[in-house]
Amino acid sequence: MTYPRLIDDGSVWIVVIPPVIWAAHFLTCYWVAAVWCASGAAPLTPVVWAIAAITVAALGGIGWAAVVAVRRYGGLRRPGRHVSRDEPEGRKAFLGHVALLLASLNGVAVLFTALPVLVFRQC
Amino acid sequence: MPPQPRPLGGQSPPVEQAPACGVDPAKLCQGEYAIRVKSHIAVLAAPLLTGCGGRHSWLAGAGAEARIIETLFWPFLFGAAVLWLAVMALAIAAFRSRREETRGLVRAIIIGGGAIVPGIIVAALLVIGLVTLRALAAMQPGLSVQVDGEQWWWRVVYDTPAGAVVTANEIRLPRGETAELLLSSDDVIHAFWAPALGGKMDMIPGRTNRLTLTPLTPGSWGGLCAEYCGGAHAQMRFDVTVMEPAAFGDWLAAEAEPASAQALARQDGLSVFLDSGCGACHSVRGTEAAGQVGPDLTHFAARQRLGAGIAPLTDAALRRWITRTQDMKPGVEMPAYPDLSPEALDALVGFLMALK
Repeated sequence: MTYPRLIDDGSVWIVVIPPVIWAAHFLTCYWVAAVWCASGAAPLTPVVWAIAAITVAALGGIGWAAVVAVRRYGGLRRPGRHVSRDEPEGRKAFLGHVALLLASLNGVAVLFTALPVLVFRQC
Repeated sequence: MPPQPRPLGGQSPPVEQAPACGVDPAKLCQGEYAIRVKSHIAVLAAPLLTGCGGRHSWLAGAGAEARIIETLFWPFLFGAAVLWLAVMALAIAAFRSRREETRGLVRAIIIGGGAIVPGIIVAALLVIGLVTLRALAAMQPGLSVQVDGEQWWWRVVYDTPAGAVVTANEIRLPRGETAELLLSSDDVIHAFWAPALGGKMDMIPGRTNRLTLTPLTPGSWGGLCAEYCGGAHAQMRFDVTVMEPAAFGDWLAAEAEPASAQALARQDGLSVFLDSGCGACHSVRGTEAAGQVGPDLTHFAARQRLGAGIAPLTDAALRRWITRTQDMKPGVEMPAYPDLSPEALDALVGFLMALK
């Protein structure tokens, strides 16, 4: 088994991972900015770097989930085309495809969350 | 954009002299027909265009913030129009298409039109919006005004080096200077909006929100509560009077003074005011009346309107306000005084109208 158990071949968890990373990223950005501004610190530069680092990490995680979805699940295959019966292969491809779409959506969402901190230089 | 508000549709188009026509009265001649068509267009367009001018128009460009927001509006409107036309064209093309093999095309439309193009557009809108917000947040204020939303009027306090200057329902600001409005509320959530001057901001109990206004055009501009706050919400209005800086300084100094000697000399009116219990809610500095529940009336007659911007301040309107308060503003907290004798009412109105 080359992957952790949760992301085992065929496991449904692959679908959940990109949204969870997005939510964690969103919450962390919010916390970092809120705590920094509430403590009255004037320059926002450390927050910008912290959020940039969190964003790169989140995009890395989502990218990894996308690669897994493509390589191990065959997520690039369109569902419905070859799946006519209830069989593990078709189920896996479907999950991979959903995970891939969610990964692209959440990648964009993570970028949008991080954008304001690049534009604003004050609390 | 013309900086001055002008009544659109108020001017009638120049009427050309219709040439003498044939004998048949049922037939319109050329010039007459053109005039009728023009007037029809004017009648149809008037309700649409009246929103574009006047003291409540956010396209009036009377403030720096309003102009910043306006630069956001036109690209958004243009983008929305282009998108709408493109989608309509696509829908028409789809209905008329007789192509057999459309799988590739459909896939391109779904991925391109459903994901890639909206993603790029939303990202662009987000960046434009953020840059606009940054410009709005960067305005540096010179003057600080505290505005509290009350059910259903506005408490206005100027923070000056000489102390706080309290007034109500009318905010005066100097032209060309950025004023910082510190917005809060004592009861429910209200929202402060003077559309011709700038953006809208909620007034939340227990919080102070900050909004800057930089008026550019002198004049009287309208404002309103933009968050439903109870029965008389629609009658919770205010005026923003933009003055030249020197005149503003004079006004603020006068506003800080107690009530004028001229008003205090009207002993009969003052005693009606005090005996009727008005001072329990209203303050008139220089008298015993020191109520904090209602608007400060020290310089009441210097304001343009009464009842939180709902009627021009005239003798007749003030009489009606005192005797039939609920009729003018249903739900208002102030009780009516219908039983005042005509003499007492005369004296009271005379006193109030002397509070310049």
